[in-house]
Amino acid sequence: MIQPAAGIVVWLGASMVVVGDGRRGLAAGIALSTLGLAVLAFVNAGPVAAAAIAAGGVTAAARRSVTGPAGWEVLAPGSTPRLVLCIATALVAFWIADAVTAGPVASLRFALMTGIALSAARVLSTAEPAAQLSASAVVALCAASVGAIGSSQPGVWPYVVGGLVAALLGWIPTRSPIAA
Amino acid sequence: MPSAVVVAPIALPLIVAAAIAVFGLAGINLGRAAAAAGAWSCAAALLAVWVPIRSSIELVLGQLGYGSALDLRIDGVSFAFGLVIVTPVAVLLTLQPRPWADSAIALVGLAASIAAVEAGGVVLTAIAGGTAATVGVVLLDTEDPDAQRPAWGFLLSAWLALALVGVVLQVGGGTAVYSAVPVSAVTAPVFSLLAAAAVLASGLLPWRSWPAQLWTRPSLRAAGITVATLFPLGFYLLVRAYELGDGRYPSPAFNVLLSVVGLAVALSAAARAQAVATRREFLAEVVPGFGGFALTAIALSTPLGLVTGIVLIAVASALVACLALLPDRAGIESVVAIAAAVGLPPSVTFGARVLGIEATFEAGDFLGLIGIAAAITWVVWVVAGARAIGLPGGRGHPAAETFPLVATSIALLTLSGGPALALLQSGFANPVAGEVMRSTAGSLSGGLTAIGTTSSLLPVVTLFTPLLVMAVVVYLVTNTRAIRTQARPALFPIPPTPIGERIRVALRGAAVPEEYRTVFSFRELEAAAARGNPIVWIVALAALGFAVTRY
Amino acid sequence: MPPEALELLVIAAAALAFAVVFAPATASRRALLVRGGAGLAGTAAIAAVPTLDLALLVLLVLGALHAAVAGTRSFAVRLRPPVIAVAMLALGLLLVRVEAPDLVARFGAVGLVAGMAAGVGVLPYLHPIEPDEALTASPVAWLGFIGPVLAVVLVFRAQGALPIQAGGVFGGMLVGLGLLNMAWGGVAAWRTADEVAAWRYSFVADWGLVLCGFGLTVADGQRAALLVLAGLLAGRLPLYLISRQAIREKTTTRRPINLVVAAALAGSAPFVGFGARILLLRASTQIYWPLALVLALVMLLWLPGSLRLGRSLGQPRGRQALGVALILAVNVAAGLYPLPLLAAARL
Repeated sequence: MIQPAAGIVVWLGASMVVVGDGRRGLAAGIALSTLGLAVLAFVNAGPVAAAAIAAGGVTAAARRSVTGPAGWEVLAPGSTPRLVLCIATALVAFWIADAVTAGPVASLRFALMTGIALSAARVLSTAEPAAQLSASAVVALCAASVGAIGSSQPGVWPYVVGGLVAALLGWIPTRSPIAA
Repeated sequence: MPSAVVVAPIALPLIVAAAIAVFGLAGINLGRAAAAAGAWSCAAALLAVWVPIRSSIELVLGQLGYGSALDLRIDGVSFAFGLVIVTPVAVLLTLQPRPWADSAIALVGLAASIAAVEAGGVVLTAIAGGTAATVGVVLLDTEDPDAQRPAWGFLLSAWLALALVGVVLQVGGGTAVYSAVPVSAVTAPVFSLLAAAAVLASGLLPWRSWPAQLWTRPSLRAAGITVATLFPLGFYLLVRAYELGDGRYPSPAFNVLLSVVGLAVALSAAARAQAVATRREFLAEVVPGFGGFALTAIALSTPLGLVTGIVLIAVASALVACLALLPDRAGIESVVAIAAAVGLPPSVTFGARVLGIEATFEAGDFLGLIGIAAAITWVVWVVAGARAIGLPGGRGHPAAETFPLVATSIALLTLSGGPALALLQSGFANPVAGEVMRSTAGSLSGGLTAIGTTSSLLPVVTLFTPLLVMAVVVYLVTNTRAIRTQARPALFPIPPTPIGERIRVALRGAAVPEEYRTVFSFRELEAAAARGNPIVWIVALAALGFAVTRY
Repeated sequence: MPPEALELLVIAAAALAFAVVFAPATASRRALLVRGGAGLAGTAAIAAVPTLDLALLVLLVLGALHAAVAGTRSFAVRLRPPVIAVAMLALGLLLVRVEAPDLVARFGAVGLVAGMAAGVGVLPYLHPIEPDEALTASPVAWLGFIGPVLAVVLVFRAQGALPIQAGGVFGGMLVGLGLLNMAWGGVAAWRTADEVAAWRYSFVADWGLVLCGFGLTVADGQRAALLVLAGLLAGRLPLYLISRQAIREKTTTRRPINLVVAAALAGSAPFVGFGARILLLRASTQIYWPLALVLALVMLLWLPGSLRLGRSLGQPRGRQALGVALILAVNVAAGLYPLPLLAAARL
């Protein structure tokens, strides 16, 4: 039960990053994704991996909560298409994870597919650096967890590095373009 | 003799070129002497390697990295073509003053060309020949970037096609070494590609191509070098093709086709030559004309045809030097050059063309008709030559690069060399046939004073010597000062705009209909592809995904 | 670390040193050194990490840092390509590793190929380009500096991860994208209005050769790809750097040196591009000979664009002239005798 719930939490977090425009909404999205991925990492790779994911994600969320556009701005006007995207992605990912693919970690598959796909869509669709970096942090955390697919003993290093990357992304300076 | 000596003809010009460049960059111009030393040392090395032993000497070093070893060979074929290339280059570098950079580049081109004919395999020939072509274009551009030069794509496509032939032979036959390729690997498609490469490499096309266009440049220094280094290479490929096929081409149809192409080249050059407005333009068609006749002869697939073609190429190379040194003015030098070019008796050209026509009759079938057509083409050349004597000289090239005495001497040498044709064939051309047509080369006979054909014997010494004496006597008793030449009308006019040019103009003027322009607009497509539009990216991903479901 | 990646790293380091020494006066050597050094370090990290998962994470960081470099394009525009690349690669890896029907593994191969294309910046994932942007901040940094090692690592590791059925699809897609990039790059380098874009497309065209080489899963294909990548690092990129001043001043010249440079860029003999083309033709002949014919024809598209690029070099003087001579000499040496380069990469 806990794994499916974790998968759904990851999806919720990624969806929050997609439909949120304010720093609090984005931070909440990162935090939710981190929670779900940390649980899944604990089940599939052990406590060290979970701790690495948690540390990186929390740092990223904390950083995001103080940088970027103010407020929550979740489901702001004009975000309906994004909401539809979140729901459609969940349905497609569920189908692929449960019906098309096989193996014991269906929840992880669902979580990673929704996390990566929704984050990538967010990066593509927005010009706001805070949203992009938040989505990139989720991508980093998900990419770190891909090693658990198809492997009974994924190493901890991808999780450690993924956590570090997610944390680091919050500190990337986002300069305005210089005039030609 | 150690096999490393085969490197000498390539290395010596390169070393001298490097020395010229180093001194030139330091502000010291080593002048013509250095350039001449580089070229003549190459010729001397070729003679020194081949003449004492008159058999193949080969050097095989390690692999280069693309399936070919560094395989260099001096045999009858590479000796003959090597001399054909280096002799006019050496003469021109000795006599014509040029900047040090041009001398260095010319020597590099010479080295590349010699490397192409010494290469033991197809791939290496492609690399060396491609290098020679690149260097030739650079040399022409260095001298005058605004003057005519070969279309670079034209030349590159030839050597790329040859590279493709080489790799197909490597993959299909296990090797691309001329002497080791299995005959079964030389299939019709492979040979077609090789023949196309050869034709393009030498510009043997039935319309005005670079071997003619280069002679209309304001200066002929670079033009002479470029024609001398590049023009023979296509013929070299066709001769080596006999070695690949154990003495013949994969199908008689190729012999017929190439002979027809050669005839078309010679005839079209003759047609243009008889309609030109200046003597320079006539002389510009001489080299393609010789090339056409040579191609026809080489393609006959008989030893006689092959050696005849080799002799014609040798004469063409001599005339390259002659034409580059000839001043554009009326006088005896022009008359002698034209007489040598059209092949009046008792010239070497005359004898070679007679033998070439005889070879077509001996080859039989359709090739005999080609012989008749070749004879008619020759007649057109003679008429064109007679007309050209009365034409104005042309734009003219700088007097400093002309040497009328030397040009006249070269022309006289070919004009009076008919009696020595058998000697030339025996010493120069027969080894080529012996190398690439081993099984049938024995049919060549005659010795040093006569040339034996299947059906007859041509006693060149006894036949041409009296002709030569008569020609000398006629010249001595004739008051040449009383000759008044005048421009005569062309035998038949050539349309002012050749059909190829009209097609090109029509194609350039073609436009996509207005209503479809946005679909085919390059700017719009570029903007769509390069804007980084997310929709485009997603659609591209979907398209790739769809594509794999069809795989 | 794959030996090819190590070799390309060495060449990239040499290219960076060259850039610092021979950069035009208007270029900031300090910026080149710092940013180039960071890029080289990131690229080395991508090559050094033991798994593809770690390589993706390093790529993400490198992409974010590159997006942060001062430039004329916005941060958002510059961050998109590397993040999308990592996302597609991660999804691709996921689909390749799951237990699923063959079709899913094929989609995984799609993700890997598309991710690599997005990371490097070739069709259909061209990075937007601004003519006035500094080299270190422009997409050419991906195409000509980071991309070569990245591609080698991705291909090498992906081939180990792909099941057999998907391997053929992976190769086929690389060849297809390769042909597309060759054709587009060749035509666009010639027809585009802007010189900087023309240079970028020339890189894209060379990447077409690389993708074809990687897609033809025989040794000669890998060799061809390696030679082209070495040519990118040691030839095209330094020449582009030297040409930037003339492009900015909008000067074009028609001296012999411009023609020689054009010959090098077009891949004619005796430069390294010709050797690469021979190897590519060998590889395609072994797999499917009509492909060799198509490749040979498409290769001619390099010519008009290269002539244009050669002229855009202007007339290099002093240090730049020496730099150009050095580049050409290295290219000729590698073109005539590529065996040491290939042997160092154990190909």
